[in-house]
Amino acid sequence: MPERKGARVRILVVLPLYGGSLPIGRYCTAALRQLGHLVEVFEAPDFYPTYKALKGLKVGTDRLQYLENSYLQVVSQAVLAKVETFEPDLVLAQAQAPLSIQALKRLKRDGVTTAMWFVEDFRLFTYWKGFAPYYDCFAVIQREEIFEELQAIGVQNALYLPLAAHPEVHKPLELSVAEQRKFGSDVSFMGAGYANRRVAFRELIRHDFKLWGTEWEGDSVLEPYVQMDGARVSSEDCVKIFNATRVNINLHSSVQAKDLVTGGDFINPRTFEIAACRAFQLVDRRSLMPGAFSEDELATFGSMEELQDKIAHYLANAEERTAIAQRGQARVLGEHTYAARMQTLLDFVAERLPGWPMARATVQAAEGLPPELAGDIAALLDRLALPAGTSFEDLVWAIRQQQGKLGELDTAVLFLDEWRKLYDKKGGQQA
Amino acid sequence: MTAYLVIQLARFGDLVQTKRLVLSLCAEPDSEVHLCLDESLAPLARLLYPSVQVHPVVAHGTALARLSAGEQARLLLEKNVPAFRELAAIPFTRVYNLNFSPLNYRLAALFEPSLVRGHVWQSGQETVGQWSRLAMRWSSMRRLGLNIADFWAWHHPSPVPAAEVNPPAQGRGKGLGVVMAGRESRRSLPPKVLAGLVTGLLDLRPELQKGGCLTLLGSAAEVHAARQLVRELPTRHARLVRNLCGATDWSGLVETVGELDLVLTPDTGTMHLAAHLGVPVLATFLSSAWCFETGPYGLGHLALQANLECAPCLESQACPSQAGGQVACLSPFAAPGLLRYLSTQETSHLPPGLTVFASDTDGLGLTFTALAGPDTQADLREHFRTFLSEHLGAGQGEPSAVLHELAERLYTERDWLVPDLESSASRLNGFSSEIDDNLSIAAC
Repeated sequence: MPERKGARVRILVVLPLYGGSLPIGRYCTAALRQLGHLVEVFEAPDFYPTYKALKGLKVGTDRLQYLENSYLQVVSQAVLAKVETFEPDLVLAQAQAPLSIQALKRLKRDGVTTAMWFVEDFRLFTYWKGFAPYYDCFAVIQREEIFEELQAIGVQNALYLPLAAHPEVHKPLELSVAEQRKFGSDVSFMGAGYANRRVAFRELIRHDFKLWGTEWEGDSVLEPYVQMDGARVSSEDCVKIFNATRVNINLHSSVQAKDLVTGGDFINPRTFEIAACRAFQLVDRRSLMPGAFSEDELATFGSMEELQDKIAHYLANAEERTAIAQRGQARVLGEHTYAARMQTLLDFVAERLPGWPMARATVQAAEGLPPELAGDIAALLDRLALPAGTSFEDLVWAIRQQQGKLGELDTAVLFLDEWRKLYDKKGGQQA
Repeated sequence: MTAYLVIQLARFGDLVQTKRLVLSLCAEPDSEVHLCLDESLAPLARLLYPSVQVHPVVAHGTALARLSAGEQARLLLEKNVPAFRELAAIPFTRVYNLNFSPLNYRLAALFEPSLVRGHVWQSGQETVGQWSRLAMRWSSMRRLGLNIADFWAWHHPSPVPAAEVNPPAQGRGKGLGVVMAGRESRRSLPPKVLAGLVTGLLDLRPELQKGGCLTLLGSAAEVHAARQLVRELPTRHARLVRNLCGATDWSGLVETVGELDLVLTPDTGTMHLAAHLGVPVLATFLSSAWCFETGPYGLGHLALQANLECAPCLESQACPSQAGGQVACLSPFAAPGLLRYLSTQETSHLPPGLTVFASDTDGLGLTFTALAGPDTQADLREHFRTFLSEHLGAGQGEPSAVLHELAERLYTERDWLVPDLESSASRLNGFSSEIDDNLSIAAC
């Protein structure tokens, strides 16, 4: 388990309603918990079916927009209510998190620290310009140009924070024969059917080739290679595909098909995920790659010709594939995990925002208790995967996160917490 | 055997006012009723409800609040964990969680939410049932009010009749008892005003002196006020005084109150105890106290209710009409006309600002009828009670514009759109647990 540096803090992770940043938000949540922080999650996806239902109304555009905006305001208010109750040290919003500008202003007014990890291409998803100034910290997956633009609109605390892998999910697997048969091939690609990929992959069909993912419809050449009828592939199955494939193709997406290999800047999550699985990939070169991997840790290509040559080469050289994959995995596990990213983010917040996190008057959960009760509390902390030094307040929140009816000790701790609040208000004194 | 749990974590008076619900549960065939309450009230609960199993917990804590955080934790956990374990092990059919308090919500975490009525804990979220939500809404119309004992009792589909809850009031021969003060000091008469009323009562009703004593009741905190009262009384009455403030345990209090002819009291736990025992009460209701909400339960009691336009007020808010450091609604209690009224029953003598109410019961529960003085809300209250009776399936009234307006004001979209286990339809269906899916005619 990664070690936490700095104070244990309370973090509210606000997930997006849906989309690619959703699994990343979940990995961040798990990583922050691994680091020993108290994390509460705003489950925005639970609100998405209602949002979608509005689109089924068949009403005028104006009316629909009004309803959608109103609903998103309600969701935003729900985030604020959560903040009010949980009192986090940091609200960490994922890209597309449902936080309105009004809500962000309110958080700022209330002194709640906010950060966004904008895991999108800033050139395509330009709405960041409207929202970024309202966050205390804004982390991005690109460098230079966006930093200048962020500074121009008043964002002082911008951080380059590349994507990563989550080793608890992205890991080498022992596949059954049936799984190997289902998910395996010489060459495969797992991802959405962007314009450049549709053209590029036509050149790969002479191999034992499988295409996984969505949005491949209407391409008569590629359609026979699309697996599972183009259904969305779960994170678990993605990992099986990476593990089962000899050469995983990783071509960064582009909305245009003029240049198939674009040579862009950011590194996609698949790069880190395949590497973490100790699987072999051929990935198109990106300008930010040298900072993340050395040349012998990733096999790369800069053109379709080079890709073709290297597929042939690496299919014929299993040992080379294995060696590169092993080095790539070691690098990812050492530096490019979500736990490492979250630590970097928290260090950045602490460095840029003096006095963060604000000190809380805390009492350790087992402080002042006789040995038997202290032992019971220790067992409770253990059951909730909390460290021994957890504060009473954090223990209360961890208990509150549990589902269903609670045990007698859990209930008694919640009861004690409310009792203290009640009698403190009435002028009781506490040492 | 069907086991029921009532969680009542509030004070003395609230415990007594839980009686109608407790009796209703006890009246069910083959039932076993349990009561969870603060440990300080456990001996009293055993006296009030001998057939009920009592589960004391540490909930109150004014004294404990001075301890260190560690000591508090030790004390509460050492006592509450075993008590909670015991509660969690009993297969309750229903849990009535009565108080709108964070402590009640947390305690509900021990039970499946579907079993809990009132204040529910659902995986970390506090939720409140429809009946309690409705009460929150009508609490903005306090002049109408529903007695809290009836509010709690109506968590049950068919509580025992109100008239059967307490015995009709009848004097017991040991004279007048005077309760010095309640928890809310503004609701109590100061010693000087109280002395005038006591003197008048003793002079007007000599039978109250037959017992040979004037009993002063209260906690140790009221000892000083009791001495002040004695100083204000004429010697002929002062020599009768038996000052029991702070001198009785629960059984002593029950025994003492049970022997009295009349209890003169503000809105206190002892007032409810007297009503429970069937001892006549003459209650003084002023400031935030409103007899329709918490008046003495049963037949044969009187309430002297302050009726200024601002009544009932909020105890936490300063009285805007305060005079001489006292709330404005206190003055009628000091007016000579009050004693004249009590001696003659002549309405014209009653000072302005007071209404004399006599306790009564109807199909819903306890109510009061004005004997003297205005009751400007009587008609509207009648409609309100009809509205509630219809909601509870306890009666039917004639359709009227006022009833319609009440329905519009007291029902919200939440009740109508998302009916829950406490909605009127569910109630009329006997609180079936499968109600969510099978509630509507369409689903039948």
